[in-house]
Amino acid sequence: MGLRQRLPPARRGAEAGNRTRYMAYAVETIGLTKTFSDGWGRRKVLAVDNLNLRVNTNEVFGLLGPNGSGKTTTIKILLGLLHPTKGQALLLGGQGSDPAINKRIGFCPEESYLYKYLNPRETLDFYGRLFGLPRRVRRDRIETLLEMVGLTAVASRQVGTFSKGMARRIGLAQALINDPDLLILDEPTTGLDPIGTRQIKDLIKTLARRGKTILLCSHLLADVEDVCDRISILYGGRVQAEGRVQELLEQADKRQFTTGPISEAAMDEIKAIVAREKVECSISSPRERLETFFVRTVAAARRQALPTSGAVSTTEIGGFLAAQDRSDLLDGLVRGGMEGGRGEDAPEGPKVEPAPATPRDDSVLDKLTHASETVSTRPDADLQESSETSESAEQDGAARELPQRDVLDRLVDRNPSSEGVTKVSDPDPKKGEAGDA
Amino acid sequence: MHRVLAIASNTLKQAVRMKLALVFSLLLLILLPVMAFGVTGDGTLKGRLQTFVSYGIALVSLLLSLLTIFAAIHTTTSDITQRQVYTVLTKPIRRWEFLLGKFLGILTLNSVLLVLFGGIIYGVVMAAPRFYRDPVHHLPVSPAEAKELHDQFYTARARVLARPIVVTDEEIQAKYDRLHNNQMLDQFFPGASVRKLKERLRGIILSQKSSVIVGGQRLWEFDNIRPQDPNEDIFVRFKLDVATTPPDEQIYAKWAAGDFRRVRRGEETLLFERDLKHPIRTFRELALPSEVIADDGYLGVLFYNRPQLNQTVVMFSDGQRNKAADEHSFSILYRAGTFTGNYLRGLLVLFFRLFFLTALAIWAATFLSFPVAVLLALVLFCTVSISGFILESFTYMGKGLQQIYGGTIELVIQALPQFDKYSPANYLVDGRLIDWAMVNWASWTLIWAMLLMGLALAVFHYKELARDTS
Repeated sequence: MGLRQRLPPARRGAEAGNRTRYMAYAVETIGLTKTFSDGWGRRKVLAVDNLNLRVNTNEVFGLLGPNGSGKTTTIKILLGLLHPTKGQALLLGGQGSDPAINKRIGFCPEESYLYKYLNPRETLDFYGRLFGLPRRVRRDRIETLLEMVGLTAVASRQVGTFSKGMARRIGLAQALINDPDLLILDEPTTGLDPIGTRQIKDLIKTLARRGKTILLCSHLLADVEDVCDRISILYGGRVQAEGRVQELLEQADKRQFTTGPISEAAMDEIKAIVAREKVECSISSPRERLETFFVRTVAAARRQALPTSGAVSTTEIGGFLAAQDRSDLLDGLVRGGMEGGRGEDAPEGPKVEPAPATPRDDSVLDKLTHASETVSTRPDADLQESSETSESAEQDGAARELPQRDVLDRLVDRNPSSEGVTKVSDPDPKKGEAGDA
Repeated sequence: MHRVLAIASNTLKQAVRMKLALVFSLLLLILLPVMAFGVTGDGTLKGRLQTFVSYGIALVSLLLSLLTIFAAIHTTTSDITQRQVYTVLTKPIRRWEFLLGKFLGILTLNSVLLVLFGGIIYGVVMAAPRFYRDPVHHLPVSPAEAKELHDQFYTARARVLARPIVVTDEEIQAKYDRLHNNQMLDQFFPGASVRKLKERLRGIILSQKSSVIVGGQRLWEFDNIRPQDPNEDIFVRFKLDVATTPPDEQIYAKWAAGDFRRVRRGEETLLFERDLKHPIRTFRELALPSEVIADDGYLGVLFYNRPQLNQTVVMFSDGQRNKAADEHSFSILYRAGTFTGNYLRGLLVLFFRLFFLTALAIWAATFLSFPVAVLLALVLFCTVSISGFILESFTYMGKGLQQIYGGTIELVIQALPQFDKYSPANYLVDGRLIDWAMVNWASWTLIWAMLLMGLALAVFHYKELARDTS
């Protein structure tokens, strides 16, 4: 078992793949149909109707649709929680109920259905044990994941006391404990604040870059648009539209210029050039994305509040309040950013763009993936285990500072060099971003 | 296996942290001392110990049974309705491993609590004689009392029933002929068939033979009495029932015990004889020296209904030939094991009960919601707990009903493991040996438990888990 876990993910995938027939797609449904009836066989509801989905390996695929369009039902059938009425549903070329397939899958359901009496660390440990991960690998991965979802400070509190957003983060962490090849996320951003949403989207992109496949199910269109390569829109259990996000949304007959502040004269000149091409031309200031604006505003507000809370935090009550703050990820994130950015100017200008995930994020994931190797080669591993409590206390402190500052660095982009740079891009903002990455 | 253990330990955590186990344990911890110090029984230490053990074991058994039913059903149904199964069963775990983990978790909880509370009761019982002071004179246990405790409570005694009463066809025929000749048959039993008549006559002869008229006597013969220690007394256990209650509610008896085969042949033999008086309608024990047993394990016991002192027929309950009456039959008891060994076997019986109940509860939880599953499990638990009573009640039913129930429910109840067949409390109170025949019952219980778990696994395997959101 231990040896198996130490294999790199690619080889593990190949090994499990040998056991299955063949694997053309990461997710595939063939004529999938599901009808629900009441106990007496009457009043049939057609939830999924002859659905043919094909998600390629290493693709971020979005399953869209209004409530009751069959998204979640499809996912439940894929995972073996429901039986198809007709047709087939395949995950990584096999059945969703096959443990060999389950080993390579991560699933985060629409709500976090957690054991209320466990704390985050125990929760993740429990799920880790279901994968047969050795104790040390589990311990290492759990700390990494808790750090990643920002719950290290509350890792010993019962999950039952958590807010929806915090529970959601554990739900996400449990889906990643096995470093899955295929991640299935059902409404991953519900209940999360914008910063948490942003983190999840960055995570999805990072995972995709690392060769993972992600099946995303959502009706929050902004989220889907930002991260998905391909989407499928369901209605009444049928696919209404399917294709690459870029192709579906691109207005091929239009072009958009983005420039720095330019003079009226220059604008007139451009208009004249465009007029010669005999097409229409309109000029306006581009709008900032609300998400970017939000993150920046919250960061600024926190900075102003900081001196007050700093003064209070010297008293006993302040210490308690500070602890409360720590439990709130949003606050923690933003404060971390402020401490990092203290003394610098607030980011200005319309050119604030969501930055792609930094390499540091990769290092966290690398740690997750190769946790076993890291542990086995660490000479002082035994020593660490014996002083686990003091160590984790230290980690608590460290986690509050480091990763959160890192996240905010990414979220509030302070890159002055973008000023004055002129870019030519398609109207789809995603394209420009992809170019950056 | 590590997956099963992960589920099991999580189940255990759930029971502990949801305070279910805690509440049950507190209840026991409050109620046990109440019984230890509050219940006096007949005032003697032996009486107190008997009530304590009887109530204590019964209470532990009942509370742990209820705990099992609630905890096992809750842990299974809540995972389905609160949808933890969505994340758990999409991990590389098979559904049977999940259910088996639940089973093991609950069983572990039960075992720990059983050992804990069984240990507490055992400790109290074993320490009692050393700390006991009688409430009136504050004296410690007297040597006579200590001997009685040693012989009748701190022991595990085997039980031997007397040779059954034989009613021959000739006897029935003779009686039939006599009544027939006197033209009395139609008078007493009008319109009955010959077969029915003979059946009733057999009953009449049987009760005649099992009771003793004033001035009459009755001999019980026993075989295979082999006490471990020839220096220890053996005991005759009996209950005296009477046709009319004497004013002092006592019966004056003359007892004789020895090798009555030699007496019949006119040979000399050692006879034990005593004149005693006994209260009626309660179980009594008469101590006999074990020298009176013949070398081949034979013993005859004679009861003489003394004519000057008694005015009533004395009846013994070994005339009826059914299982329920066996418990009350005239019998010989002798030490065949230690109290501790017996106590452990008693706890083992309780363990098998809980094993069965865990399987029953999980089976019910796989296809029913929490309240319905609890109801079903409780009904079945009550049924197996009083199966003897239910089965007996069938015999009093009208003909039509009996035919309907006899073929269905009666068969099911007879097939189920009957908890009241081996009630450890009853055995321990009488200091009676829980013999290894219990193993038969235990294996039958285990087979049932496995059958139920098998059914549960089958149901759960094909269940659409995302469907049940009630």
